[in-house]
Parts: sequence; C-alpha cells; structure tokens
Amino acid sequence: MTDAEIAELWSTLEPSKRERARIESRVLEWLEATETSLVSEWLSLVRENPIGGLALAAASALSLLTLTPLGWIASSMLR
Amino acid sequence: MSAALAYDRAQPTWTLAGIFEALSTRFGGDAEPLDEPSVQRLVEQARTGDRIAAQRLYRQHVDRVFRVVRGMLRSNAEAEDVTQDAMLTVLTSLDRYSARTDARFATWVTSIALNTARRRFRRRRPELTHTGELPDVEDEHSAPERDVDVARQRSALLRALADLAPIEREIVSLRYGAELNASQIAEVVKLEPANVRKILERTRERLGVRIEALLQRGASP
Repeated sequence: MTDAEIAELWSTLEPSKRERARIESRVLEWLEATETSLVSEWLSLVRENPIGGLALAAASALSLLTLTPLGWIASSMLR
Repeated sequence: MSAALAYDRAQPTWTLAGIFEALSTRFGGDAEPLDEPSVQRLVEQARTGDRIAAQRLYRQHVDRVFRVVRGMLRSNAEAEDVTQDAMLTVLTSLDRYSARTDARFATWVTSIALNTARRRFRRRRPELTHTGELPDVEDEHSAPERDVDVARQRSALLRALADLAPIEREIVSLRYGAELNASQIAEVVKLEPANVRKILERTRERLGVRIEALLQRGASP
C-alpha cells in the first residue's frame, strides 16, 4: 500500500457526527462550569429555591460564627 | 447584517456555550483549514478572551486530535474521552504556547493529544481488540453500501494497528492522523528524525501488507 492509500484509509477513523457532538458538549459543559462564579451559583440557587437557598446561606453563616470561637477555645484548652 | 458581524457585536454578552451552540446550529460541519498565520492570530485573540477565536481553534483541531488518538487507543469511547481532555488542556493552556519555541500550533496540539493518550495508556494498559469494532451508527441519510465498505476498511486498519508496538502505533498515528512529517513527529516523540523515518518506513510496509491481507480475507466490520 502506498503512503496516500494509507492516508486515505485513515480518514475512516474520523469521528462520527454523534461523537463530535458529544465531545463538543462535554468540552462546553466543562468550560461553562469554570466560567460560572460562586456568586452567580448562589444567586441561581436562590432563584431556584429561595427559602432553601437562604436557609442554607444562613446556616453556613451561623456555623462560621459559632464554630470559629469554639475552635479558638478548644485550641487554647489543649495548650 | 452578516451573521459573523452580528456575532461580533453580540460577543460580550454571549456565553461560550451559547456561541458554540449557535455556530454549530447555523454552520454545522468543520471550518475550512486555516493557514498558520491565521491560526496564530486566532491563538492571540483567544488568549485575550475572544470566545469566537477559541471556538474556531477548537473546530480547527478537534478532528485531527481524534484521528491521532483513535489510532492509538482501543475504542471510540476512549478516543472521545482523550480528545475531550486534550482539547480542554489546549483551550485552557494557550498561555503556555509559544510560537517561537513550540513551532506550529497544530504540532503543539498534537503533542498534548499524544501525552493525554499516553496517560490513558499507563492507567489502563489498553490494547486494541483483535476483533475490531462495530462502527457507530451514522446519520440515517448515509448510503448503507458505502457504510459497509468504510466499516470494513476501518476494521482492517484497526486490526492491523493492533499488531504494532506502541511506539510504531504512535508514529503512524502522528503521520496519518495529524499529517505530520518525520521531523515534526521526531519533535513530538523526542526521537531523532532519522530514527522516525526508519520506524515509519518499516511500519508503513507492515501495516500495508497486513491491511491488504485483511481486506482480501474480507475483514468483517
């Protein structure tokens, strides 16, 4: 077989339309995910489920406020 | 107003996904191959955050990456995964590419594809199956007879590739999948060009003989 014949045969390894579409959508999904900021993630969560989103935000803030001093106390007691 | 102009004006408000989807829907298929200076311009534009430029770079190289890694891996699914990982690496590492030291952009992209496929190799020790694979279902408008013929040729090629050593498979994949010459292949696989030429010549001959034998025997798709 000549170089050109093998090259022509290799074209049978091209991705199909479905494969191409799958690769593209996965690449997009990943890029889109890395472009989305944390703030916009939170805002979309609040839009989807306002009560749940705000409750989660409140619980996170409360745990930060209470656990930080508790951590300090615990570490000073261990010293 | 032309579609391209409309996209340019709308660009700042579009998401990357939106642009890709809109272009896929409107234009379908792949972009025409661009010359190296045009590719370099796209790289510069993509580095500054131009999403259309990034999309065009993706379109210019994704098929080439798939053709290269498909020759090295055992299945279409693995080739899809590796193509996806390699293209993500390319698009997120454009700052690492230097036209002066890394030569052609396509060669740099091919190096990333090769390294991604090698990592997959090390993780799973893939071997090409000796039975080949059934072709993916293509779109319903393609001619069935042609499909069978293409599937037969594809199967013969994959079976013949299965008999090669990994380095031989890499070199022929770079030669025919990425259309690189011996010097460019040598740059990618870190071998002397003379060695690459020797391996390429020997492998091409073996591959040709094996494919012809398989086609004469009527390699089933």
